[in-house]
Amino acid sequence: MSAIELRDVLKTYDGRRVVDAISASVERSERVVLLGPSGCGKTTVLRLVAGLEVPDSGAISINGNDVSAGGRNLVEPERRHIGMVFQDLALWPHMTVFQHLEFALRYDKLTRPTDRPGRIMEVLEMVRLVDRAHAKPGELSGGQQQRVALARALVTNPAIVLMDEPLSSLDHELNLHLRGEILRLHATLGFTLVYVTHSREEAADIGTRVIAMQDGRVKDAGTPTIATTNARDT
Amino acid sequence: MQRRLTLLLVVGALVIIGLLPLVMMLGKSFFVDDTLTFAVYEKLFADARVQWEPMAHSLTLASLTAGFAMVLGVPLGLLLGKTDLPFRRALAVLLSVPLLIPPYILAVSWFNFLARDGLLARFIPARTAELMSGWLFGLPGCVWVLVGAFMPVVMILTMVYVHAVSPRLEESGRLITRWPGILRHITLPMIMPGILFGGMLVFLLALGEVGVPMFLRYPVYPVETLTQFSAFYDFGAAAAAATPMLGITLAVLALERFCLREKTYRLRPVTSGTRMLLVSLGRWGVPAFLAVSLLAAAVVALPLLALIVASLSPFAYSEAWSKAADSLGRSLIFAVFGASLLMLFGFFCGYLIHHRVLRFWRAVDTLTLLLFTLPGTVIGVGLIALWNRPVTGFVYASAAMVILAYLAQYTALTSRITLATLGNVPHSLEEAAQMTGAPWLARIFHVVVPAALPGVIAAWLIGFIFCLRDLGASMLVYPPGQDTLPVRIYTLMANGAPSLIAALCVIVVSVTLTSLAILGSLLRTALSHR
Repeated sequence: MSAIELRDVLKTYDGRRVVDAISASVERSERVVLLGPSGCGKTTVLRLVAGLEVPDSGAISINGNDVSAGGRNLVEPERRHIGMVFQDLALWPHMTVFQHLEFALRYDKLTRPTDRPGRIMEVLEMVRLVDRAHAKPGELSGGQQQRVALARALVTNPAIVLMDEPLSSLDHELNLHLRGEILRLHATLGFTLVYVTHSREEAADIGTRVIAMQDGRVKDAGTPTIATTNARDT
Repeated sequence: MQRRLTLLLVVGALVIIGLLPLVMMLGKSFFVDDTLTFAVYEKLFADARVQWEPMAHSLTLASLTAGFAMVLGVPLGLLLGKTDLPFRRALAVLLSVPLLIPPYILAVSWFNFLARDGLLARFIPARTAELMSGWLFGLPGCVWVLVGAFMPVVMILTMVYVHAVSPRLEESGRLITRWPGILRHITLPMIMPGILFGGMLVFLLALGEVGVPMFLRYPVYPVETLTQFSAFYDFGAAAAAATPMLGITLAVLALERFCLREKTYRLRPVTSGTRMLLVSLGRWGVPAFLAVSLLAAAVVALPLLALIVASLSPFAYSEAWSKAADSLGRSLIFAVFGASLLMLFGFFCGYLIHHRVLRFWRAVDTLTLLLFTLPGTVIGVGLIALWNRPVTGFVYASAAMVILAYLAQYTALTSRITLATLGNVPHSLEEAAQMTGAPWLARIFHVVVPAALPGVIAAWLIGFIFCLRDLGASMLVYPPGQDTLPVRIYTLMANGAPSLIAALCVIVVSVTLTSLAILGSLLRTALSHR
């Protein structure tokens, strides 16, 4: 049973096929990278899996259960138990790092209220942010903000984590460093990762499998070597 | 599900508070003793001339006010919003003050300045003073006062819309021509829908104005509704008299929807996160500053000064306090309740329109705008038509009627502020909260509202000020013995001493400006903590 499965998923905006009848599957604990130029539909695929977009047709299933089918969401995003790191990070400006994680845990039925502080500190240690627990996003560096977004996505211990170009705004050195952090966290926690990027280098580094996309379709799929051979970098 | 249900409830409440009263009003004007008849209309319009003349006056007054407001408001908006004019923020605040004060108080202020025995008469020959006083009573005086009151609408909208023009478009123009050419060929054509929208708002606000024309003795149509209701207590005739105003408002709004709609919406997204280009005035900076300062002094400072001078009599303030303290207290309480509910309603309506959650989001936007631009007297008559019946008598006889009137009339203000604020709050913030499993209301109150806090506070503040200054609707719906301060002042105007009226007006202005200052500082604090 695949962790994620897309079957003939179609999504249009104003009549334009942004995702054009895509079928693909992601196995448990796999690191799959969606690679392609801007506007090829990779972010839309991610949002469809998250449930933030509804497919026009086709079906999406998570752990064997259909979550979207027949042009509607069968399971709302907040009930899919998926962690997500947004491209703009989407950090809440009025909350501290600790409050970000506390808010995420508040709606997690698996964590008891008394266990929350301990779990938060555990995740903050994992992303090396314990000393910045009471800082607000505006007081953090770019790399630290990235790690808050990562911590928020991981704090509920989701089986699936989606990342939408999370490192695109960082300089090369920090980008490299955080790639290592993501791989380390994946190795520790064993979640299924779907990672969107337009960078071949990032794709080859992060993915155990790469799906190259173009014009809403799967152009190629295979081992990370396709990132350096077939896919077009933008 | 929670999102749709909550928003449907809000829309349902809006329909009951705003739309249903209008439908009931129309219904009542066509039914006499449960029989469909045009008798009320036939009787009311039997002498067409009697109705036509005030209507012609209303249309003339509204057209001239809108025209002059645009002629003054657009250049001022450009100067204050697009140039490096010295002290432009302070000047913009000063020139916006008249919008916060009930227009009839401005009329009283100008009366105290221009009347035969007013402040100006002390410095000019008696004959000239007589001439000025004669000029104040009638169309020119009404236009003058209302242009001062509503010009800030055009000015503020111009400032907002120039901020919404992409700097890249102007930068590309700068490679071709100088700033005057860019403003003429790029900026102004782009913001023209916004300017015309402002002009339309001023036209409708002036069309529904009751207080100023009544005080300055210029017979206009909305007074007819009020007269039929309060003088003759003929509800059918009042409803029939209100119908043409409803028709005109609907026609103007339909024109706006047809001609401007998509264009005014299109300007917004271009700008978020971009910095506006400022025009350097160079050597024209000082003359422009002097000209705008003089205008601000003439339009704002002079009449308010005259009002303060007129109120300076030994017992004016103590008498004002003894005669109106209870009304002031009620006004403040009603305004706090009204503003809080307006903030809530406006937020949900703004959210619904911004995210287009329901299919009929545009109808919600149109309904709130229609209710805002309708004369307060029409809203009042509609609310009476709906609630004045045995089953709902407990509502009709309570202060809830005043709050309902506020909600019906001013939701457009708070929903538009929310709309503008949400444009600057990335949707991903709410989506990130959604991915944590938070239900919609938790996302709204823990993430979206705090992220949009300055806009939420501003919406409360604007709601509070407009509730505090409301006259048209509350004059018709206040329960016995529970009048608001504007209504009390208006009642006292008939036989109160000018110094007493001036003192009461000064109290209203002071309360409004003090609230503005306190909440403005709260707003700054909220912004500084980001």
